[in-house]
Amino acid sequence: MRIFRIGLLLGIRQIQRASIWTNVLIVFVMALTFLNLIAVSGILVGLIVGAERAVREDSLGDIIITAKAGDDHISETERIVREISAFPELQTYSVRYSGAGILEANYKERRDLTGERDIANVKVTGIDPVAEESMTGLSDALIDGKYLDPNEEGYILVGALYIKQYAAQFQDIFETIEDVSPGDTVRLTVGNISKEFIIKGILKSKVDEVSLNTYIPEREFRRLFNRVDRNADQIVIRLDEPTENTSVKAALVSSGLGDIAKIQTYEEGVPKFLTDIKNTFNVLGTFIGSIGIVVASITIFIIIFINALARRRFIGILKGIGIDRKAIEIAYVIQAGVYAFLGSLIGVIITYVVLIPYFDANPINFPFSDGILVAEPIGTLVRFLILFIITLLAGYIPAWLIARGNTLNAILGRK
Amino acid sequence: MENKKPIIIASGITKSFGSGDLFTTILKGIDVTIIEGEFVAIMGKSGAGKSTLMYQLSVLDEPTSGTLTIANESIERKTENERTSFRLETLGYVFQDYALVPDLNAEENVMVPLVMRGMNWTEARAVARASIDAVGLPTKYKNLPAELSGGEQQRIAVARAVAGKPKILFADEPTANLDSFSSQQVIDLITSLNRDFGQTIVMVTHEREYALGCNRIIHMEDGRIIREEILKPLPE
Repeated sequence: MRIFRIGLLLGIRQIQRASIWTNVLIVFVMALTFLNLIAVSGILVGLIVGAERAVREDSLGDIIITAKAGDDHISETERIVREISAFPELQTYSVRYSGAGILEANYKERRDLTGERDIANVKVTGIDPVAEESMTGLSDALIDGKYLDPNEEGYILVGALYIKQYAAQFQDIFETIEDVSPGDTVRLTVGNISKEFIIKGILKSKVDEVSLNTYIPEREFRRLFNRVDRNADQIVIRLDEPTENTSVKAALVSSGLGDIAKIQTYEEGVPKFLTDIKNTFNVLGTFIGSIGIVVASITIFIIIFINALARRRFIGILKGIGIDRKAIEIAYVIQAGVYAFLGSLIGVIITYVVLIPYFDANPINFPFSDGILVAEPIGTLVRFLILFIITLLAGYIPAWLIARGNTLNAILGRK
Repeated sequence: MENKKPIIIASGITKSFGSGDLFTTILKGIDVTIIEGEFVAIMGKSGAGKSTLMYQLSVLDEPTSGTLTIANESIERKTENERTSFRLETLGYVFQDYALVPDLNAEENVMVPLVMRGMNWTEARAVARASIDAVGLPTKYKNLPAELSGGEQQRIAVARAVAGKPKILFADEPTANLDSFSSQQVIDLITSLNRDFGQTIVMVTHEREYALGCNRIIHMEDGRIIREEILKPLPE
């Protein structure tokens, strides 16, 4: 204990007597290292979390109901809708019908019947425009034209990635139709049935479920797809409190709905590749951040080594008058620890007080996501501990190297 | 002096450096005994080996051969940690250039070895202040070494060396970097420790006038003791 107390005194006094600018520079380096450790993985993970948030906001909601395995559609959709409507936690919901069709454009201008048709295989979703707007704010994704009017028929919303001029950046990845805009007529063919629609609006979103989709009113969908039983393909639910989705799902399942449909929370329903990418980015971010740790530990090593080397004579004198070299080593470890702690503390403050609120308010505009900065407290704590322990080691090793040297040589300044 | 109690017994001490063509022997078989309460000066020209002898006697260095017993303890078998602990408990040092820790103030410089010996902080502070008072610097407790003159720093170094009441005080040319006034102050202080408290002192010096307060002067030349000069016998 007395060795530690002496080490503490020596360490604190060394920091106090050091140049203020030296201290500021070291703490600054440590703060940057900590931020590097947090921010690199935080932005990579935030990119996926941003995508997940967008999928939750613009498409899937908090609870997703789909057909049970083996069923083509959700059985007893109307009963399910009645029952979920009675849940007090429910904020809104949307019933969706899904199918696939061929969208054709520019067929009226086509003169050469042997030539290539301007067609694209598309996903078709039948919606109640009012319910869908309430659920996902689909009209916010409009980049041209207007939203579906529930009292009108013969109109369609087309996802931008089905239209060549909007999907040019993706080259031939998606099947597209050309040169269409709101007001143009297109033909939607499902099996042997075709129907003309006027493009009411064009949708573009960072959620592919929206940009790679076409929307028509559910009545027209059922007629076109001959879905007379009113059984839908997907019911998405938004709750007043999204975090309650697990308990609401359990209540839905226990009410018997679990027997007739597959009920999932958002977390269960989110595509697995998103979770996989998130985990991969987390590991990648930690790896990149760990390079920062190596740089910081080398920096601390050099700083402490030069410091200890410059004080080698005083280290020798302290040993000469009987001070245990462990006390001297502790002094340098404490120095390194104080620098790591202060740097990390500043890093934490910058992360949680400045960066996270800033990126929440001003997400980074990635092509498929509005990237935010994600820094879970537990992950931050783990990174702090890693940085702290490595810094302590980086402080200890040079102090150990210098302090273990010959006492008289140190006092006399001999090599 | 045969009836006095020896505190240092060195026998056949040699110290060599280097190897091959660079092999040099600095000390060539030194036999010396120092009595408890004695004030001994080691003198000689530069390169005579006086500082090297003092480093061996003060356990700061290990002799190449020979035996050394201090305060009835054999030194040569001690580990590095044991030697450090032995220096803390038994010996005090005053170096040429003060050798105060620049980050610690005067009081802390004196306190650190006392705390290392196991004193609590309050007790160590009181002892340190008493020791600083005794060297005549009662207003300098909180001054950093850089804020003290050379003479004041050396007096703080003496205060540090004697605060723990060591059995032997070693002083390696303690006036080498001081002006004549400060040198005399430091020599008076060291001499008074021996005269008033019976402190055993071994001092290396170039200046004969500073050795006049000693009981004995050991004269060295070329790594050997060539003469011993008794200035005043030890009191009974």
